Amino acid sequence: MPEKTDVWQGTLALMVLRTLESMGPLHGYGLARRIEQISGDRLQLNYGTLYPALLKLEQEGFVRSRWGTSENNRKAKFYELTRAGQGRVRKAAAEWEKTTEILARFLSPAEEA
Amino acid sequence: MRTLRAFFVRLVGLLRAQRSEEDFAAELESHVAMDTEEGIRAGFTPEEARRQALMRIGGAEQVRQAYRERRTLPVVENLMRDLRYALRAFRRNPMFTCTAIATLALGIGTTTAVFSVVDPILFRSLPYAHADRLVSFGLSQPLEPREFTLGFFFFDWRAHQRPFEAVTYERGVNECNITEQNPVQMQCAHVASNFFSTFGIAPVLGREFTQEEDQPDGPPAVLISYALWRERYNRDQRVLDKTVVLDGRSMKIVGVLPQDFEMPRLQHADMVLPAKVDLAHQHAENAGLGVPLWAFARLKPGVTVVQAREQMQPLFAQMQSVIPAQFRSEFHLSVRSLRDRQMQDQYRAAWLLLAAVFAILVISCTNVAGLLAVRGRAREGELTVRMALGASSRRLMGQALVEAGLLAAMGAVSGCLLAWGLLHIFVTIAPTGVLFLGNAHLDPRILCFAALLTVGCTGACGILPTLQNPRSPVPNSRATRSRAYTGFRRALVVAQIATCVILLSSALLLVESFRNLQKQELGMDAGGSLVVHVSLTRARYASNEAYMTFFLQAESALRALPGVSAVAVSDSVPPDGDSWHDAIRYPDLVVSGKPRTPAGVGGKVGVRRVTPGYFAALGIPLERGHSFVEEDRSQSGAQLILSRSLAARMFPQENPIGQHIQIASYMPYFVLNGPVYTVVGVAGDVKNAGLSGEDDPEYYTLRRNRPEDWSNRNELVLRTELPVSTVAPWIRTQIARLDSTAPVEVVTIRQVVNRLADPPRFEAALVGFFAFSGLLLSVIGLYGVISYIAAQRTQEIGVRMALGATRANILRLITAEGLRLLFVGGAIGLAASLLTAGLLQKLLFHVSTRKPLSYVVVTALLTLVGGCATLLPAIRAMKTDPMIALRTE
Repeated sequence: MPEKTDVWQGTLALMVLRTLESMGPLHGYGLARRIEQISGDRLQLNYGTLYPALLKLEQEGFVRSRWGTSENNRKAKFYELTRAGQGRVRKAAAEWEKTTEILARFLSPAEEA
Repeated sequence: MRTLRAFFVRLVGLLRAQRSEEDFAAELESHVAMDTEEGIRAGFTPEEARRQALMRIGGAEQVRQAYRERRTLPVVENLMRDLRYALRAFRRNPMFTCTAIATLALGIGTTTAVFSVVDPILFRSLPYAHADRLVSFGLSQPLEPREFTLGFFFFDWRAHQRPFEAVTYERGVNECNITEQNPVQMQCAHVASNFFSTFGIAPVLGREFTQEEDQPDGPPAVLISYALWRERYNRDQRVLDKTVVLDGRSMKIVGVLPQDFEMPRLQHADMVLPAKVDLAHQHAENAGLGVPLWAFARLKPGVTVVQAREQMQPLFAQMQSVIPAQFRSEFHLSVRSLRDRQMQDQYRAAWLLLAAVFAILVISCTNVAGLLAVRGRAREGELTVRMALGASSRRLMGQALVEAGLLAAMGAVSGCLLAWGLLHIFVTIAPTGVLFLGNAHLDPRILCFAALLTVGCTGACGILPTLQNPRSPVPNSRATRSRAYTGFRRALVVAQIATCVILLSSALLLVESFRNLQKQELGMDAGGSLVVHVSLTRARYASNEAYMTFFLQAESALRALPGVSAVAVSDSVPPDGDSWHDAIRYPDLVVSGKPRTPAGVGGKVGVRRVTPGYFAALGIPLERGHSFVEEDRSQSGAQLILSRSLAARMFPQENPIGQHIQIASYMPYFVLNGPVYTVVGVAGDVKNAGLSGEDDPEYYTLRRNRPEDWSNRNELVLRTELPVSTVAPWIRTQIARLDSTAPVEVVTIRQVVNRLADPPRFEAALVGFFAFSGLLLSVIGLYGVISYIAAQRTQEIGVRMALGATRANILRLITAEGLRLLFVGGAIGLAASLLTAGLLQKLLFHVSTRKPLSYVVVTALLTLVGGCATLLPAIRAMKTDPMIALRTE
């Protein structure tokens, strides 16, 4: 089993948005599982932190939620991306790419040395 | 943007706490259930699966907490909780709450009220553009210490000056009448055409004067005040098409002045007219001096008032050559800021009041800080528990601030009510006590000031006690802490007592000064003397002869009234104060057959032109010779009566009666062409420079029935045994018979005197009020601290008593504590008040600030009241039952 990493500060929101973008509406548990799967089970996600993060996104108007029924016929709250959320994903993804690129430049010479 | 949206959502979240709480609980439950199902599918027992599911969310309660914090604003939520908590605590302890709120209300209320009064004097921005660059300039001299200019040099100065961007002038305000339908008396100001542009005043409607209108024969034009526009023209925009008939002349209304318009010398003006000064004739008019003008200017950017004065000096020096040599040294160039010119002698009183009221504010804030500190001490146990349960020191500090803030807010609200009441009282006790008092009101700026004070108080009261509360109360450090604690409170009380002593001694000095003013001999029998002022205008009474005819008729009409024993006409009435009183220089009196007094010696001599009944009407005794007699009014001989001090000075060794005196005039050079007066009597000295001024010697001349003895300045004085309310209507009827359009004002000499005593009465009453509030507050503070110390030492007292201390010992122990504070505070206060008394000297009348009596009174009062405040808790401590005392804790 590969070593698990904690979720970096500020990246959870992007993961949530990105997952919702690709998967469509999801409930909290499904979202959490999905994020873990996408990370190839290398991410140590504290499920509890997901909900305040979702709430924050909802307050900011990037996602909306409604009650629905899960695949197992269980009552669950589903989250889906709003139009603003879609814009946000694109912008945040581009920003994140830029950041990692810059970071990579910092890190690569050190590896060479 | 998004953050703002989130903020509002969270704010709304505060209101829907219950529903969202349930909602989230359901969501969490569904999450755990799904996770458990999956665990069961993976082969765990249901219990194990659920346990793991809960672990993965990191504890249900923690998630709920994190969610709750995100859902609403924890700061606001805490604040609400603290507010509720504080309100509950206040309700539990009404005594504390009332004392604290009353104390704060007193501090904030008095400060706001006094600030409203002094704000226009000290801080108000004048209603002109860039008012800080406006100056008033001109000559000052002993007979007219406020700067003025004369036509013969003003225009020369204006042409050659360098420091000013623009120079303008006004010619004063006089009575004028609107003589169309509903005639009304108005005040008309006369200004130069560039007056408005120089001051940066823009009419709300219409325009300012053109240069053409300012020419002596220019088209008649007038600007009307906002109030007049509102009341007479009903804010009609078409007023600009109208004309108004002013003293029989039809004038075009060219503009409306802004609502906050003010003449630079603060005279009231309903209408403003062009000055129409004839430049070409200034060297011929008024014996070559030109007309008097009041000059104002706008400094060039970067030029200071001092520099402006220096730059004007050469022009002044040049002009000086025209002034007769003997007076040259009396004239000075004066250039000062407009605010200084307006406020003159008001600064000192304003600062005094402000300082006194700030002292009260400081005392009340320290008192509340002390009260909160006692509470903090009493709640130490509770704080320790809360800290042990995990409350952060920031939360505790926050709560202390919320409590203090709430107190301050309640204090501020009641303070504003108090301020409103106080303002009304101020206006009632002394309507002319200080400049602008009549208009003082609580405006938004003042309310902002009160709010700032509140924040200040919150800071002072909230932070001080928490500073005393070290961050982490550790139980075993209590002894040292409480010592530091009482030390702090002692320091507060000492500061209060010291401030209070300064206030008390200042108040005593002011009260004594006021009493001295009231006790003064006026030099006349003021009871039963009335002054009747009839306003006549030049338009109806074109010549001195017309005035003479009117007032001679009025004099005989009033004399015929029942109960009136004497009537006279004078041009001015003592004790003068700030009203007009003609004067000459002492050397201008030339006694026949004697050498002239050298110029520049002897100061001012007052002049009054009176009819024979004057001395009887005002009850002024004649000490030698006789009064003017009726028959002499139709004679040609000029007669004169000297005041006692003038007679003593002019004729120290001889009999003044029968001497001949001539009065020099300067037109513009010394001439002696006036009538030769014969001295017929010597009258007693009368107060004639206001109540507090140094009296001038004066003389009276007889007004004969000749136009040259009369002018447009006329006051009727009369003596009656009847109450003024009875006589006044009769007087009005008599005057109305002579001229029904003339407004009549009837006042008693007592009222005049009272009005003059307004400023000192105002100062004494206010500072006295502050002093006693200060005393009350300090005594509450002292009582509080001694009770606190006594309560704290209960155990110690118990031990002492058990070991054989008598009750007297205990009484002494506690009393000594209080007396020490009293002594230290009193000593500091006395030393400080000796220093501050010097600053008061200018406001005092015949009071020595070094006189020990007032300080003795203050000390005695303080010891007495302070002694009681210490004795009460001391007696309580003395009655302590040693057994109970030992059992506490």
